[in-house]
Amino acid sequence: MNKLRELSNRVREILQAKGVEEYSFELRQIEKKELNTENTAFSLYRTVFDDEISVDVLVDGRLGSSSGSDLTDEGIEKTVENALQGAASGMADAANSIAEKQAEEVFISGTQEADMELFYTRLSELLSTVEREYPQIKVLQLIADHTKTHRLYANSNGTLFESYDGLYSVMMEYAGNDGEKTTGLSYGGASTHELTKPLIELGAFRKNLEDAVASLNLTSFEGKFEGTVIFTPDCLGMFLFMLSNNYLMSQVVMDGTSQWLDRVGEQVSSDKVTFSLKAEDERLVETEPYTADGYKAENVPVIEKGILKNQILSLYAAKKTGRPVTKNTSRSLVMEPGDKTLSEMIASVKRGLIVGGFSGGRPGVSGDFSGVAKNSFYIEDGKIKGAVNETMINGNLAKVFQNVTAVSKELCLDGSSALPYLQTEGIVISGK
Amino acid sequence: MIHDIITEQAKFFADGMQSVMRGHENRTRRVMLLKGNLVQNIRTESRGISARVTKNGYYGFSSAASYTVEDAKKVLKEATENAAFLSSHAAGSRKGYPALASGTIPPYQVIVDFEQKRIIEACRTIDAYIEKTYPDLLSRSITYTEDSQDKIIVTSDAASGHVTYPRCYIYVKMTALATLTGAPVEVTEIFGGWGSFEDNFKEVEPLFPTIDQLYQQLMEKKEGIYAEAGNKLVILGGKMAGMLAHEAVGHTVEADLVMGGSVAGPNLGKPVASELVTLIDYAHTALGKTVPLPVYLDDEGTIAKDAVLIKDGILTGYMNSRESAEYFGMEPCGNARAWDFNDEPLIRMRNTAILPGTNTLEEMIASIDDGYYLVNTSNGQADVTGEFMFGVSMGYEIKKGKLGKAILDTTVSGLAFDMLKTVDMLSDRLYWESSGFCGKKQRMPVGLAGPDMRCRITIGGK
Repeated sequence: MNKLRELSNRVREILQAKGVEEYSFELRQIEKKELNTENTAFSLYRTVFDDEISVDVLVDGRLGSSSGSDLTDEGIEKTVENALQGAASGMADAANSIAEKQAEEVFISGTQEADMELFYTRLSELLSTVEREYPQIKVLQLIADHTKTHRLYANSNGTLFESYDGLYSVMMEYAGNDGEKTTGLSYGGASTHELTKPLIELGAFRKNLEDAVASLNLTSFEGKFEGTVIFTPDCLGMFLFMLSNNYLMSQVVMDGTSQWLDRVGEQVSSDKVTFSLKAEDERLVETEPYTADGYKAENVPVIEKGILKNQILSLYAAKKTGRPVTKNTSRSLVMEPGDKTLSEMIASVKRGLIVGGFSGGRPGVSGDFSGVAKNSFYIEDGKIKGAVNETMINGNLAKVFQNVTAVSKELCLDGSSALPYLQTEGIVISGK
Repeated sequence: MIHDIITEQAKFFADGMQSVMRGHENRTRRVMLLKGNLVQNIRTESRGISARVTKNGYYGFSSAASYTVEDAKKVLKEATENAAFLSSHAAGSRKGYPALASGTIPPYQVIVDFEQKRIIEACRTIDAYIEKTYPDLLSRSITYTEDSQDKIIVTSDAASGHVTYPRCYIYVKMTALATLTGAPVEVTEIFGGWGSFEDNFKEVEPLFPTIDQLYQQLMEKKEGIYAEAGNKLVILGGKMAGMLAHEAVGHTVEADLVMGGSVAGPNLGKPVASELVTLIDYAHTALGKTVPLPVYLDDEGTIAKDAVLIKDGILTGYMNSRESAEYFGMEPCGNARAWDFNDEPLIRMRNTAILPGTNTLEEMIASIDDGYYLVNTSNGQADVTGEFMFGVSMGYEIKKGKLGKAILDTTVSGLAFDMLKTVDMLSDRLYWESSGFCGKKQRMPVGLAGPDMRCRITIGGK
């Protein structure tokens, strides 16, 4: 029997000894080996051995939650005590519950043991490729790791999930720099199960590096206008996350502030928009096997051809509002591609921007957003005129997705999502 | 006990390497009431031992989630091997840094734990007051957050010591429907600061008058209008000025980002702001008072002192680790800090403040014919170029020297070193804010402060 199975029996014994009849818990053992560079030189090799336990207990309808890092008997006992203290001081609520029994399953994915010599070689190759092929790029930092995770979830209804995962991840922080000018920071990231090909071929590394070099050639425009915006896949991911937070997730549905509170089954966006949260997709390496509530994760359509199919609700929020629970708590976003190439999309723009990043205030509950367009390019009469800085965009999250006029054929696959370029109208764009 | 374990391991620090071991425990408490429903009720604790070993300028780091002799030995061995791996594989371009003197620091504050029941009762008392007094709200939430760090630091060639960082806050948020747009608008107030629950919230009734003011702000914002976009003459409230000090200037003068090409690199010793502006990253004491989040010893064993970043408008220094201080020929001031037991120290801000001036807020408002008073911010971000953005969550028009209508949520942006040159009035009051986390690979509690500041800034209105 492996260590987590043994520990899970111990947790059950402790819970039962304290008379707890309804509970769920997760045990995790994580081993991370991480390499960092500073200004293209390796600077840090970090190895982390983490143990984690989280426990939810439900006593007379009152829920207490606790987590800790100590998997000794004493540590488990303390974590359970903390959860019980929370429950004892909590409020009875019929919406508090433990997910019903799921079939026992063991999930295995990725490369369990890191090959750090090969990883070091691949990372050195990535740095030397950037230096050779993109001499106007200054890499500020590379953070790369292999993380091996063993998790076990169990609950008092008899569910038992176990997962083993091993994943290589790379995050690069860089800027265009020609010796005189420096662009703003750019970030590129990707994850993979294998090191069979050069890391620069993963995700959108090359395209983003090319954009950072192009960002050295600044252009500007004065005043403001209502125009077209093409969001890059990276930026689209951010907008989808903001959209979910503002209109679809538990808190805004429970407190009634969502602008799409009762819109399931209705048209909420352009029919060009179809996106899902994925549990299984051969293009993704970062998916969750089971949800935070204790359900086996499923593919969940969120918007299909503009129709809102599902809100994104926890078990508590679902029970509280009488709606279905969402069996996916990941950020594994997949948007279906469209029928235009990025070049065709650019050629169709009379006046607007390609927006590669957004630095903005958290949109209020109304969905109105306003912020700086980062890593962005000005388009006029179908042609890219140059990069812009000090340029602001503002609009409304719902309208961004209602006013979509094109979705690209190209998809960016970075291991955790599959997203296209998305073209939308009616964004207010303000220059210097 | 953990102190003894780490001190014992210090006998095995390898010759020719610079070593730091840290026993580190974090604790968080979180309670959230959403429209009276208890939606979060969480207690977390994590603890472990880490070792960082430096060989020829290469860092090896390792940590384990326990306080045992076996794991202390394991992480020291692993960190030593990791440093050796990099030292043998890499090209040898890095350099070490000199030893520091040891020293003494004040006794640590004992972190006092309180029952979740008391925390929930405090939140429910506030919630009941709001529900009863203001039944017309669309939504309300009360959130209690507490986090604390307890660190024992033992070094081979610098200071050692025991430090703690307790802080706790209550966030009160209210939501109503805006008349102009029919969409929800919200306002937030944050109470609390350094210390444990009892230090800040022994009684919550004294918070009610401020909650009443918050409701008045919500009613003003409910009738709010869109700010007009463009470059405007404004007064940034002290909280906004503090955010500017942290985001737009502070990050660009973190030495690791300077090495990465930030705008501060070529500007050292040059004017970057109006001569009214002095900006300091305080360690533990500012203007004769203890700052919100005092730091006495950092996680590399540097005794903390203030880092003067801008003096009378001139860029005078950076925030450093021991390594970067050696590189730039500066003195390390104790900015290398780690959030969790498994985190390595990074260059972080502590209590970053623009110093107050001599004007009153009233005379500053009276001095503006057409502009805005931007009171509160929801969040902020900045780039190494100094290009910044802050969300504005509460503000007012200024018309003919008087406050006018409230404005709906908007954003301000600019280039820090351009915008700071337009500062021509500073109020005589300093507003501290310390509830937030700064994000930079790891999260980190930070304090920030500023006076009301008259300047020109770009507003992203409609």
